[in-house]
Amino acid sequence: MKIIVSVKNATKTYALGKVSVPALRGVSLEVEEGEFLSIAGPSGSGKTTLLNLIGCVDTPTSGSVEVAGKDTLRLSERDLTRLRLDTIGFIFQSFNLVSVLSVYQNVELPLLLQVGIPTAERRRRVMALLERVGLADHAKHRPSELSGGQRQRVAIARALVARPQLVLADEPTANLDSVTGQNILDLMRELNRTEKTTFIFSTHDARVMSNATSVIRLADGKFVDRLSAAEAVRAGVTRPASSVGIS
Amino acid sequence: MWSARVSTLKVIAQIAFRNLFVSRLKTFIVGGIILFGAFLVVVGTSFLDSIVDGMSRSITGSVAGHIQVYSSKSKDPLEVIGGFSFDGGDIAQMDDFSKLREVLLKVPHVKTVVPMGISGALVTSGNTIDVALSNLRDLARKKVAGTATPADLGAYESEKGHVRQILTVLQTDIKNIAQLHDEKSISTDDAAAVVKAASPAFWDAFDRDPLGQLEFLENRIAPQATDADMLFLRYVGTDPGVFSRSFDRMKIVDGATIPRGKRGFLFAKYTYEDQIKLKTARRLDKIKAARDDRGERIAKDAELQRFVKENSNQVREILLQLDAPKTADFRVKLQKLLGSQVPEVGKLLTEFFKMDDGNFDARYQFFYAELAPALQLYRIRIGDNLTIKAFTRSGYVQSVNLPVYGTFTFTGLEKSPQAGSLNLMDMVSFRELYGFLTPEREKEIRELKSQMNAKEISRENAEAELFGQKSPEAAASPPPPPTPSRTVVADATPGLRVPESDGVGARFVREDLSHRVYDPSQLESGVILNAAVILDDPGRVRETITAIEAAGRQAGLPLKAISWKEASGLIGQFVSMMKAVLYVAVLIIFVVALVIINNALVMATLERVREIGTLRAIGAQRRFILSMLVIEAVVIGIIFGALGAGLGAVVVAIVGKVGIPAPSDLASFFFSGPRLFPVLASGNMVVALVIVLLVSALSGFYPAWLAMRVTPIQAMQSDE
Repeated sequence: MKIIVSVKNATKTYALGKVSVPALRGVSLEVEEGEFLSIAGPSGSGKTTLLNLIGCVDTPTSGSVEVAGKDTLRLSERDLTRLRLDTIGFIFQSFNLVSVLSVYQNVELPLLLQVGIPTAERRRRVMALLERVGLADHAKHRPSELSGGQRQRVAIARALVARPQLVLADEPTANLDSVTGQNILDLMRELNRTEKTTFIFSTHDARVMSNATSVIRLADGKFVDRLSAAEAVRAGVTRPASSVGIS
Repeated sequence: MWSARVSTLKVIAQIAFRNLFVSRLKTFIVGGIILFGAFLVVVGTSFLDSIVDGMSRSITGSVAGHIQVYSSKSKDPLEVIGGFSFDGGDIAQMDDFSKLREVLLKVPHVKTVVPMGISGALVTSGNTIDVALSNLRDLARKKVAGTATPADLGAYESEKGHVRQILTVLQTDIKNIAQLHDEKSISTDDAAAVVKAASPAFWDAFDRDPLGQLEFLENRIAPQATDADMLFLRYVGTDPGVFSRSFDRMKIVDGATIPRGKRGFLFAKYTYEDQIKLKTARRLDKIKAARDDRGERIAKDAELQRFVKENSNQVREILLQLDAPKTADFRVKLQKLLGSQVPEVGKLLTEFFKMDDGNFDARYQFFYAELAPALQLYRIRIGDNLTIKAFTRSGYVQSVNLPVYGTFTFTGLEKSPQAGSLNLMDMVSFRELYGFLTPEREKEIRELKSQMNAKEISRENAEAELFGQKSPEAAASPPPPPTPSRTVVADATPGLRVPESDGVGARFVREDLSHRVYDPSQLESGVILNAAVILDDPGRVRETITAIEAAGRQAGLPLKAISWKEASGLIGQFVSMMKAVLYVAVLIIFVVALVIINNALVMATLERVREIGTLRAIGAQRRFILSMLVIEAVVIGIIFGALGAGLGAVVVAIVGKVGIPAPSDLASFFFSGPRLFPVLASGNMVVALVIVLLVSALSGFYPAWLAMRVTPIQAMQSDE
């Protein structure tokens, strides 16, 4: 299988005033194409920081992050943005839809940013995805007219419309009730299977982890271990082994 | 690639527009400020431009021309109109107008050149009694000589009656003073003279020796009945024909223009009304104008109340004009109107002039219909001779008698005291009053000198020549021929001729200069102070000024050329000042707008950090965010700026139809007429839109820059 993400001994230190706060203290991992990977750990363990590095919205203080074969440290701000646009889809904890645009326009946005895709093609792809997430008849609605679950499904459609190789989701179910959250995860898993899109998502919910092909555990900014979903549930990852929070 | 750009722009615009719509409150606050700013720029600049345009047409079309040319050796700047100085300031003379005109007419775009000189002089308006006595004397002379016609004899009797009426007024004055003050405050000699002149015996003797009795009246009575004013008249000396042809705003109101080759004076209508008209009538006119044009009321306006009071207190001016039949006539009319039995016309007039808002219109009409025809409404009538006394540049007093040919006004400036204070006379008389040597005077002085055996001496040697002590220079020069001579040092007054037989002590005979004609070619050559230049294209003032000064240098003439704005002194500066005030106001408004808009947009940006971060995360470049926010600001600018400018245009159009009434006579000068009709120029709209766009783009830039620096990470941070 092809490696799509390769993190090597990555560290990330944030400066809070005069104090340097290490968020990641040297993490290495490789993600293969088609994985449905969960990153687990207590808050402050570095999950979000790791996702930011993989998502090319941040670069490591030391070490390296390669996404789709590109070393993010060597890319300009412009190229990083382009890489995000073409390669990565984002699903946010609070959905982050553009409130002034309709459902259809929100999903269409990445295609417009890509520039040069004909209107008909855009329309076909947007409607196909809305169909897939079950919101075709809500195309003209505003995000504010939708429920939380519906909004997250719009966000998923938006993350997938540009056919990224990789979709990142930071706590995608945290703001949803358990049933809706499960539905969202089912949808993601299904898309992962049918579209062969790699998914990496962070969570501290054991039920969410159980959907994953494998679970990476972090603690205190360090890699702890990589388990299969079943192992993770058995290991009781829901109860953090240690928690030295920084938040 | 191009269509790609277009579709990106479409997205940006779409997001921008939707954002504006969603955050309506912010949009309307920001938009409202921009709307007001654009509105103000359009209305303000249109208003000012219209004033400047109107004034420019009024001033250039009335006296200044587009450019004024004068000698660069002058000590003061030239002020043709609106200046504070009585005379035209210290302006150096230019010796030969014909040469100047020749040089100027060769400069491109110069259409006409009008010779000018501006100065001022004191004029006595003439005592009523002096005029009456002088008329009586003329008639008495004819009677004595036996050449009087029956009409002359009638006039003689009427004039006698008038003088006797004046004496009655004087007697009443003395009686009143005696009652109010100490008896001693009246000179007993004066009182006795009045009693004597008013006695029937005096008038019985009058027909036998009218000239002797007149001398008594002139010496003893006339000084007690002075009612004359000293007037200061500012005037422009010019070629009357060329002047009225060149300045299209000039319009003769009464009488006619000064005929070619004749000396003469034209009153500015405003001066004529304001200074020469019977004061009572003038005040009535002013009250009427205030009531009719400005809607003021006597009851509410202190100035109008003052006019009414002055009119009812100062009836003497009218009384002095009335002879016996007129007095009787006034008594009957006023008693009937007022329903009064009081016999004294003075008291009746006092009562009559106590006007209020209720009876004003009726009494105003009554005054002009019933009383005015019997009065001399103007102290100086068209056709009268005006004696003008002026100080020449060398400091002696020069006087000239000029017939008044008429009155004139400048269209659009009828009510303006600034324009209306400039009267007009022929250039030849002007030169004399100013102290220039005209060929005519040079000849006259030559004759005088030869008559008197005068010889010319220089000022430096005057003392030595006169008193026999020779200065070193004089000693070196050959001794003067030993002719017996009288020495003339000062220049003589023209028109004063020494009768040949008489010696120094002989009476000078004043020739009636006013009827002397001059060679019209004197207008085209000779000394002038300044010249108005009229262009065929009013837009080329600046370049023509440069061209004129260059031409002057080439021709060896020390020329200074200034625009009409500079030549109109404070008025020209006032326009620039008003412009500056408007621009400063606009600047302040837009600086405030900039701060408020900027603040509003920064707040809006901070609220949208998450959305912007999301856009950045899913792949929007910084440029995209920047354009989005700038477009938002500019869209507000365009829409509300256009609305404001449009609203301004509508207001200007409406006001342009209705006009703004001038609140005062001063304002009517700036409005070049009783109403200002502002005109919208497309330039005003363009200026407004450019300013508004600039301001909105500028105020949008900082928030856009802030937004551009939002990182995608900020989108990931949760709400909590």
